[in-house]
Amino acid sequence: MRAGEKIYLTPTPVRIWHWLNALGIVTLCVTGAEIRFPEYVQVFGSYKAAVRLHNTAGIVVALSYLMWFVYYAFVARSLIKTYVPTAKDILGGMVRQALYYFFYFFLGNRPNPHRQTPENKFNPLQKASYMVIMFILTPLVIVTGILLMNVVPLRAIVLVIGGLKVMVAVHWLLACAFCAFLFIHIYLATMGHTPFAHIKPMWTGWEEIEPDMYDEEAEAQPKVADETSNVLQLQKEKSPPHLKKAAGE
Amino acid sequence: MVRIVKRIAWIAGCLLLTVAVVWGMEARECADCHTDTSIIEEGGCYLYIDPVQYSRTAHSEVGCPACHKSVTDDHPDDGTRPPLPSRTICGDCHEDVAKEYRASAHAANADCVDCHNPHRVRPVAAVSGFEMNRVCTKCHDPKEVSRTHGVWLPQAELHIEALPCITCHTGSKNYVITFYILKVEKHGGAMTKVKVAALEDLKGIVSGKLGTLVDADGNGTISLAELRAFNASYRKKGLELWGMMTPEHVSHSLETLDNRWDCTFCHASGPSAMQTSFLAFPEGQGSYRRVPIERGAVLDAIYGTPDFYMIGVTRNRTLTIIGLIIAAAGLTVPIGHGSLRLLTMKNRKRRK
Ligand code: HEC
Ligand code: HEC
Ligand code: HEC
Ligand code: HEC
Ligand code: HEC
Ligand code: HEC
Ligand code: HEC
Repeated sequence: MRAGEKIYLTPTPVRIWHWLNALGIVTLCVTGAEIRFPEYVQVFGSYKAAVRLHNTAGIVVALSYLMWFVYYAFVARSLIKTYVPTAKDILGGMVRQALYYFFYFFLGNRPNPHRQTPENKFNPLQKASYMVIMFILTPLVIVTGILLMNVVPLRAIVLVIGGLKVMVAVHWLLACAFCAFLFIHIYLATMGHTPFAHIKPMWTGWEEIEPDMYDEEAEAQPKVADETSNVLQLQKEKSPPHLKKAAGE
Repeated sequence: MVRIVKRIAWIAGCLLLTVAVVWGMEARECADCHTDTSIIEEGGCYLYIDPVQYSRTAHSEVGCPACHKSVTDDHPDDGTRPPLPSRTICGDCHEDVAKEYRASAHAANADCVDCHNPHRVRPVAAVSGFEMNRVCTKCHDPKEVSRTHGVWLPQAELHIEALPCITCHTGSKNYVITFYILKVEKHGGAMTKVKVAALEDLKGIVSGKLGTLVDADGNGTISLAELRAFNASYRKKGLELWGMMTPEHVSHSLETLDNRWDCTFCHASGPSAMQTSFLAFPEGQGSYRRVPIERGAVLDAIYGTPDFYMIGVTRNRTLTIIGLIIAAAGLTVPIGHGSLRLLTMKNRKRRK
């Protein structure tokens, strides 16, 4: 891969899911704050509007989660590969990535140890945190949310779990975790070679390869491999998502 | 002169005493037949007045004839049915209430006796919120109410279970949270049926003195520790607390209040409101004794009142702080890393 070239990193369903989710989660955070702190936070006309909007956004996020899951698990079939860190990631990758973010990045003397490819979108730290978020936090926040929205019909379950207060506590703490995640996520998204380098591709699907200033590794790789993989990327773009994988193999 | 006055006073006293004795006797006489279950076979169960319930009412002090003025001496053998008291009789003694109610639009729909059985009246504190709702659901089908309210009220069913109708439909004052003990019955594993625990239900579950079931030290108030201890040990045995927002002072201005409609009356007041709570302990015959609970029970994080949560009001302070710390921890990344990033910008520029 050479600097300036583009790869098709994020297929359309994933982009739709991402922005639907983004809108939903921001709405949930703001309305949630109004619902919990009505004396301090008044963004939406009335309390009723905030509750309504929160419920609607919750359903949207739950459905978009379902869409994400179905896409990755059954259409792209890359759920585990994309989101679960490998042994290598755990043994060294995470430390290397953390060292980069908190040390080498500031010194400016080493490249990002992770290179995005469609097969390996996330760096080890991303994988670990997205795994926790998508496999644990999101389902939990959705389940507690659904229970809180249907206290009477689902009372038997609420009682087994330990009561409404437990549900509310979990829901609130998770919401705060999502809020924290939002801050970090948006900030890290500006860490590309330009502030919008990672944000634009989430909209268009195409990621521009970072102009590489310390390209010893890439230089060492045979050029041919690069060329073919680029051709394959282009093919992938043209073919529908479920065929892409086949084309890539 | 003095003597005449004394004599008149004495005669008047005697007269009053006879009247009182006759009234008292009459009341007892009425009760002789009407509180005896055999009258049910004689004329129908509407004739039977539950003696325990009646003796608990303030009306037992005024006596039957105060309301049943036209019962003859020969009753019931006089061949006529004594006419029932006029529907407006309540206003004779409850002037203010009657005036207030008559001014409301609902006066055309129901009379006092449609909502109150004069032989069972009890002070508000002794009436459960569920029973207050039964008064209304006699005429207003609860399913229909859930449906019409559900159009604008999320979880209408939950609201109606946690609020007497009069909380939203009268200008009643001074709301408190009252907890009732519910009995959860397991029917074939997961299926649960929940009902208000009567005195008899508690006797079956609790060994020892009932009075100290929640108020363990029996000092007349329930502390948060006692509340938690109750929840910790009795939830397993199928007892749980159900909170309701009940008025201390009932008004009869039946109307629909605007702020109930936009939720602010209950949900937007923050944790300084609704912190007075009581436990309504069953005393038998559908009557309750209220035991005050330490202030702030509904704010207890988890185990004080595990199943009562009013959004916007009952948030727990500790959990709020932990949550805000979590969110703030997230903010440290953009702030901390961002600042260092700005400071070290030239390191990365130089490299290029
Ligand atoms: C000896 C028993 C007895 C006594 C004492 C008695 N009642 Fe009755 N009462 C009856 C019976 C029996 C009936 C049913 C009569 C009938 O169906 O015609 C009745 C009917 C009534 C009814 C009419 C209910 C209705 O609409 O059908 C009223 C009201 C009533 N009693 C009030 C009183 C009051 C007040 C007293 C006391 C002053 C009293 N009774 C004393 C036996 C008694
Ligand atoms: C505070 C007033 C009041 C007192 C005190 C009172 N009643 Fe009544 N009673 C009424 C009214 C009002 C009705 C008519 C209810 C209605 O219209 O549905 C009634 C109805 C009845 C009936 C007819 C059955 C029914 O429920 O409709 C009987 C029998 C009766 N009373 C007996 C008694 C007896 C016996 C006593 C005393 C032990 C007593 N009442 C005390 C007000 C009173
Ligand atoms: C003869 C006078 C009298 C009549 C008639 C009367 N009441 Fe009462 N009522 C009282 C008194 C005295 C109390 C005690 C508490 C109070 O002062 O409000 C009372 C209390 C009550 C209470 C509240 C219970 C409590 O202990 O606070 C209700 C409810 C009630 N009455 C309903 C009615 C209804 C309904 C009627 C008409 C069927 C009626 N009353 C007719 C005298 C009367
Ligand atoms: C639409 C139903 C309804 C009507 C009609 C009604 N009430 Fe009530 N009233 C209630 C309810 C509900 C309560 C709450 C406590 C309870 O259920 O007893 C109450 C409570 C009371 C109390 C106790 C208030 C207190 O603060 O202790 C009195 C007294 C009373 N009513 C008298 C009357 C009188 C007199 C009339 C007729 C003028 C009347 N009510 C008509 C529903 C009604
Ligand atoms: C004896 C029957 C009866 C009882 C008991 C009764 N209602 Fe009603 N109520 C009616 C009737 C009839 C109407 C008029 C038709 C309708 O709107 O459903 C009505 C109407 C209403 C309305 C609508 C008024 C409007 O502005 O349109 C409200 C609110 C209401 N009732 C509340 C209550 C509450 C709260 C209680 C209990 C404290 C209660 N009712 C008990 C018969 C009753
Ligand atoms: C959370 C507050 C609240 C509670 C609790 C509540 N209501 Fe209402 N109710 C309202 C409001 C607000 C309206 C007016 C709605 C509208 O204008 O569309 C209303 C309307 C009504 C109406 C008339 C119009 C209709 O939609 O049918 C009736 C009848 C009524 N309520 C009965 C009841 C009864 C009976 C109960 C108790 C079982 C009850 N309500 C409990 C707030 C409440
Ligand atoms: C008269 C008081 C009152 C009004 C008005 C009211 N609520 Fe409630 N609300 C309650 C109570 C009490 C509960 C039940 C608490 C419990 O049992 O856990 C509750 C529960 C809720 C819940 C469920 C909270 C949970 O634990 O999941 C929601 C959501 C809610 N209300 C929203 C609203 C909205 C939206 C409105 C206005 C349209 C509104 N409420 C109007 C008193 C009120």
